[in-house]
Amino acid sequence: MDFFYSYIALAEIYVLLGLSTNLLVGIAGIFTVSQAAVFGVGAYIVAYCLMHDVTGFVPALLLAAAVCVVLNVLVTLPSLRVSGDYFVVTSFGIQLLATAVFVNWTAGTGGANGLPGIPSPDLFGLPIESSQQLVLLTTAGSALGCLAFWLIMRAPFGRLLRAIREDELAVAAAGKGVLRAKVSAAALAGAFAGSAGGIYATFLSFVDPSSFDLDASILLLTMVVVGGARTLAGSVIGPFLLLALPQLLSLIDIPTSIAASARQLIYGVLLIAFMLFRPQGLAGEKL
Amino acid sequence: MLALQLLVNGLVTGCALGVVAISFGLIYATTKLFHVAHAGVYTLSGYLAWSLVGHGVPAIGAMLIAMAAAALLGGLIQGVLYAELERRRATHLVVLIASLGTLAVMQNVIAAVYTPNILQFPLPWSARMVTLGAVRLTWTQILTVVLCLGAFAGIMWFSHRTILGKQIRAVASNPFLAEITRLRPQRVYVTVVAIGSAVVALPGILVPLALGLQPYSGITPLLTATIAMIAGGIGSIGGSFLVAVGIAVLQNMSLLIMPGEWSIGVTFGIFIIFMLFRPTGLFKGR
Amino acid sequence: MIRIALAILALCLGSAAQADDTITFGAILPLTGPGGLIGTQQKLGIQFAMDRINAAGGVHGHKIAVIFEDNQAKPDQSILSFNKLVDLQHLPMIFTSFSGPSLAMAPLATRKHVLMINAGAQADALAKASPYLLNTLPTLGDEAGILTNWLAKSGKKKAAILFENSAAGISGRDNYIATYTAAGGTVVAQEPSQFGQTDFRPALLKLADSHPDVMMVSITAAVQQMAQQFAQLGAKFQVAGTTFFQDPALINDPAAEGFVHTQLQSKVPPELATEFKANYHAEMEFFVRQYYTASNILFVALDKVLTDGKPVTGENLRDAILSIKKFDGLVPVVFNSNTATVPFDIRIIHDKQDQLLEEIK
Repeated sequence: MDFFYSYIALAEIYVLLGLSTNLLVGIAGIFTVSQAAVFGVGAYIVAYCLMHDVTGFVPALLLAAAVCVVLNVLVTLPSLRVSGDYFVVTSFGIQLLATAVFVNWTAGTGGANGLPGIPSPDLFGLPIESSQQLVLLTTAGSALGCLAFWLIMRAPFGRLLRAIREDELAVAAAGKGVLRAKVSAAALAGAFAGSAGGIYATFLSFVDPSSFDLDASILLLTMVVVGGARTLAGSVIGPFLLLALPQLLSLIDIPTSIAASARQLIYGVLLIAFMLFRPQGLAGEKL
Repeated sequence: MLALQLLVNGLVTGCALGVVAISFGLIYATTKLFHVAHAGVYTLSGYLAWSLVGHGVPAIGAMLIAMAAAALLGGLIQGVLYAELERRRATHLVVLIASLGTLAVMQNVIAAVYTPNILQFPLPWSARMVTLGAVRLTWTQILTVVLCLGAFAGIMWFSHRTILGKQIRAVASNPFLAEITRLRPQRVYVTVVAIGSAVVALPGILVPLALGLQPYSGITPLLTATIAMIAGGIGSIGGSFLVAVGIAVLQNMSLLIMPGEWSIGVTFGIFIIFMLFRPTGLFKGR
Repeated sequence: MIRIALAILALCLGSAAQADDTITFGAILPLTGPGGLIGTQQKLGIQFAMDRINAAGGVHGHKIAVIFEDNQAKPDQSILSFNKLVDLQHLPMIFTSFSGPSLAMAPLATRKHVLMINAGAQADALAKASPYLLNTLPTLGDEAGILTNWLAKSGKKKAAILFENSAAGISGRDNYIATYTAAGGTVVAQEPSQFGQTDFRPALLKLADSHPDVMMVSITAAVQQMAQQFAQLGAKFQVAGTTFFQDPALINDPAAEGFVHTQLQSKVPPELATEFKANYHAEMEFFVRQYYTASNILFVALDKVLTDGKPVTGENLRDAILSIKKFDGLVPVVFNSNTATVPFDIRIIHDKQDQLLEEIK
């Protein structure tokens, strides 16, 4: 059972994280490959707090979310000055810079060694130890995130964001605060990513820079796109499917010497196929 | 002298990086597509040359054949994949993801066929040293500078003096108008990507000649080169090349004052600051 | 969702059918990605041992099988694979490598009473990570100390350090500094390189500029490239390293002339090397040997557990290894704790051969 629980827990963490990318890329139209970096910051903050007994789990999580809100606003600030493809590269650059910090700032993040032995989370003193309890935590977290996402989409704010993506100039001309809306979207996305990171750290009980690198950001983007952008269903389907894929592919009989690269290859082919034949993903709207 | 040697090494690396930048820039300025799979073409051309040399083909022949194969591959990716996506009116994001998928396919085909081990070119002359004053260079480094500067000059000449080059610039600046005047953008795109791919095969062979072949190491030079392209000004061949050399020199020289692990971080940090204050680049495009 | 359910069903049925005769173990190794070169060697080592023992009739008549999982040296993939192997396949023992993933899985191994055998990673934290994690090779702390003491005694008083920015590399660097300074030497410079990168020139230049007597190296990949670039520098100081210098490509390269390194004692009988080459078309390199040895240790333990009539669980296998203590094989391995002690040599690369300089007991 633990295998299922860990699969579900991990998928739900990525659902929560994916909401941040979906919000930025899908809804607000701010392309980003740096959400994994923000995810990492959230993870390291909670890890640090728990390992050094600074606070309990829930306060640490709130702290991580708050810091990531600020961080994400700063990180998406360049997008407000440059548009489109320029920001793609800036976003790559931010992600790579963050990875450099994670790997080299040994005092804060443990550097390439990472931080092993992170204590289990607790709910104001009530420990969350077994796999079932962890899944309850991740389910609660991702459900809360999804609810927030859904509410935002139905609120005027959500409509404003969609309008901005369609035609920014028109919205600005109509006197609506485009800058404020984008910044708010970035802030919210930061909260999603940061809290996902905090839960991830306690679930794995070990964090190191390799979970927050460029590959992770790209995986995240792929989850959103394959699952389907801009919809809640897409945000949920994407992570579950993409995390299941390597497991499913491992059932196909491939000669062991090339098995691993063959799986990655099939993965890449699937990406191409999706983009060619179903770019709206499984349950989303066309990007 | 340490500083001088670091500077020279930076200039050599910069020339190779510069060619990656202008080849990517050529493609991007014309097609407006973020052809991440370019990193795969870069990597594959190195491996192809290695196979050819291993089978006894003389080095020059191997290089030319690899360049031709790269052109073919690049042209195919544009002509088959990207063109099809464009027909389906895919957004840039969709193309980017398809390109990422293509890159993953290429890297893993290489890893499956050649194993993930680091491979060396069996060319002993490549490591022989030459001393020029206070500086030591390998023949590979000298060859890199010569060929890459040559490629740079070649692309500049091509872009400004040949009819095809001018057609490409026309399509780049106004595809709609180009369509009307029967310049056939799609055909131009294929040509451009083919040329860009052939050109990137050059550093794709020269850099691994010095450092060894690895399947997954194409993306970092590509991203650095992209930074050079943007900071230099999209459409400015000279600008991209110069900034690329500048970045490589900066990364090498920064070792004089700071520990090596931060040099890449600093590069990207400076770039981000750049984006905040001068997003259009140092040089205006043409 | 239906597909997933079907897949799980298939796995469960499959594992039930296998249960009777074959004894299955697991291995979570990086088979792709930057760690892929080492991971594939390790896999070959396990496969070779497995093929040989099965050809000899298995252990107590049971055939041995190993399920390999690719973790790309990533901790979260490792956790998923670990849970999959333990929950779905009910495996009592898993081979692991690389410090990061091993450390990540260690708490799980403790919780689930699954034996983990590491025959490749050397970060110091591995010694205490879990009572269920057995390391068949000493951590870097021990190995580095042997090297630095030898260097200090040979009169090399100033050292520069080239280290990889990874768990293993940093562990090596820290140990070099600690033991070398204790032996009376001074560290005059240190430079990092990234795992998987092959351009060492800037770092080497900077280290050379500090005029050391010796450069101590703590990297796990691209050693040949490093040697070539070092030779291109034209520098004259000594280069020293650990077991990672035992790389056929490096030894054969004239650029490595004069390199000194510690080496876990490991002799390969020529017939074995030939047999390996015939079956797998490759040399029996360091990591192949390490995991071949580790597999044989496991089989000896398994034999004991079955002889004693006990069930094949992680706990029993671990206890068997710790009670047998001494294992003879390519490498004589002694478990006085869960990290083995192995005798070392100091070797020098000379004339394209790895020659013995001194044996350390």
